[in-house]
Amino acid sequence: MTSSRDVTSRLRQNVWNGSIPLEICLDKGDCRTYDDSDPYLIQFPRLSYLGLLVPKLHGFFSNNLIYPDVSPADVWLSYDGVPLKWHYPLGLLYDLYSGAEPSHPPDEDDNNEGRADGDSIPWKLTVHFSDYPVEHLVKLDAEGKHLHDLYIHSVKEADYLRCAGKTVMFLGKEDSGQLWESVKQHNFTLFNPINQKFLNPQGANLRHLPMKLYLPHASSGLTENEPTPGSLRVVQALVTPSLSSRQPQTIGTALNHIIPSLFPSRRSPLLAHAVLHGAVLPLSISVEELLRVASYLDGWLHIAVVMMG
Amino acid sequence: MKTVSSFPLLSKSEFDEACGNIAKVFIQEFHGSNVWASADVVQRNGSQYLKIVKELSIPHIDPGNGCTNAEEEEIEDEDEEILEPPSNHGVTVEYDIVLSPSYQVPVLYFSIKDPLFRYPPTMDTLYRILIPPQFKAQAENVSVIGGITVTDHPVTNTPVFFIHPCQTASVLEASKAIDTLTSIDYLVLWIGAMGKCVGLDIPVALAQNLG
Repeated sequence: MTSSRDVTSRLRQNVWNGSIPLEICLDKGDCRTYDDSDPYLIQFPRLSYLGLLVPKLHGFFSNNLIYPDVSPADVWLSYDGVPLKWHYPLGLLYDLYSGAEPSHPPDEDDNNEGRADGDSIPWKLTVHFSDYPVEHLVKLDAEGKHLHDLYIHSVKEADYLRCAGKTVMFLGKEDSGQLWESVKQHNFTLFNPINQKFLNPQGANLRHLPMKLYLPHASSGLTENEPTPGSLRVVQALVTPSLSSRQPQTIGTALNHIIPSLFPSRRSPLLAHAVLHGAVLPLSISVEELLRVASYLDGWLHIAVVMMG
Repeated sequence: MKTVSSFPLLSKSEFDEACGNIAKVFIQEFHGSNVWASADVVQRNGSQYLKIVKELSIPHIDPGNGCTNAEEEEIEDEDEEILEPPSNHGVTVEYDIVLSPSYQVPVLYFSIKDPLFRYPPTMDTLYRILIPPQFKAQAENVSVIGGITVTDHPVTNTPVFFIHPCQTASVLEASKAIDTLTSIDYLVLWIGAMGKCVGLDIPVALAQNLG
């Protein structure tokens, strides 16, 4: 019992500490000296939000800007021409767009031992201070209130799924302030006690498990707009902790239920992999156990679906 | 028609039924009338939602640019009193009513479609163009209706305005006047409760035709 709790907390810590080195360059169009600015280098947590970097980026690059008085609200980031959504955590963006090969479980495929992040480390992003892609990216405000609002909304929805919103309802002002502070500081000591309340609602089992799937966009017949670079299809359905029998819900049973065309088998991945925190998920893993150790800061499992090459 | 089984929640089949009926009645009885420009069921990526399109009517004049255009507008007003100012011709508001899989209530997503891209989905556009002045204080006060902000549309995944759904169930409970509701009654009630503050209402004649 104790040992399984130890494993859980160690995994939780590992997920918390996951990070990606970033090399952020100023877009040439915004640079006073064409391409002469130094890149901004940072080791950034996978769980965190790039929007929290905006004040630092604004300060770092202000001397290089053609228009130094530009508002922080005009800042945006892209990778390979894809505007990066503020409310997606860095790890999800990386798993979706970097092209890095995800890690496979060690016993599954020995050929993958030698995989290296190679070209995708550090992840080279571009920061822009003009031409905000307002049709593709939610516009933030200079004070970071909108980012906070997007986060809280996501937290509330996750809580509604887990226990009909009862934990959020009884969360005091102090706790919800502490929650956002823990996200901004990436501080586990502040975050964990509140997260434990979310994962263990008083007097109730979890009703549904918050899980979203992110699929590369297949061209749809109804393209009224031109396709957005890097556009995705986000798929969500109610996922119960166990199936009607005493069988727990696994990643395989959930994916097979939600997107059977990509996961025709509950046991083996045939067409696509489910990727979380840079790792291919074994289909046999219980969704609830996964949620307890590997959910993002808003309480969701944000899973990238990657087609097999 | 059956009554909604777990009010204030709505199931997917109840939602699909209500959307289909509203679109059908609109097309049969009200197409070409000026209440809505269109009402259609959109099917995309396996999900289904109701799209209602209205001409944009700006609730109040932007105090910022009163002087320079005043004379011009006066002359136009004399010539074509009832017409919209030509500058907003062809500009529409699209209201997408999507069932939330989490909350199991419909959620309102809306955006302005303008050939000249003058009204991007930002908070500035929201309060300058979309929210009638009498609802401004209420909409800004998050606790009243759950607030209105910008987020990604669940189907198109691009930024649009939306009304936070976390209060919807209790708003519906409070607005309900009769005991048994069909799925259409539900959606009519929902549009009445959620749509008004952002310019969407259900015409009385249409509501009567549905009943």
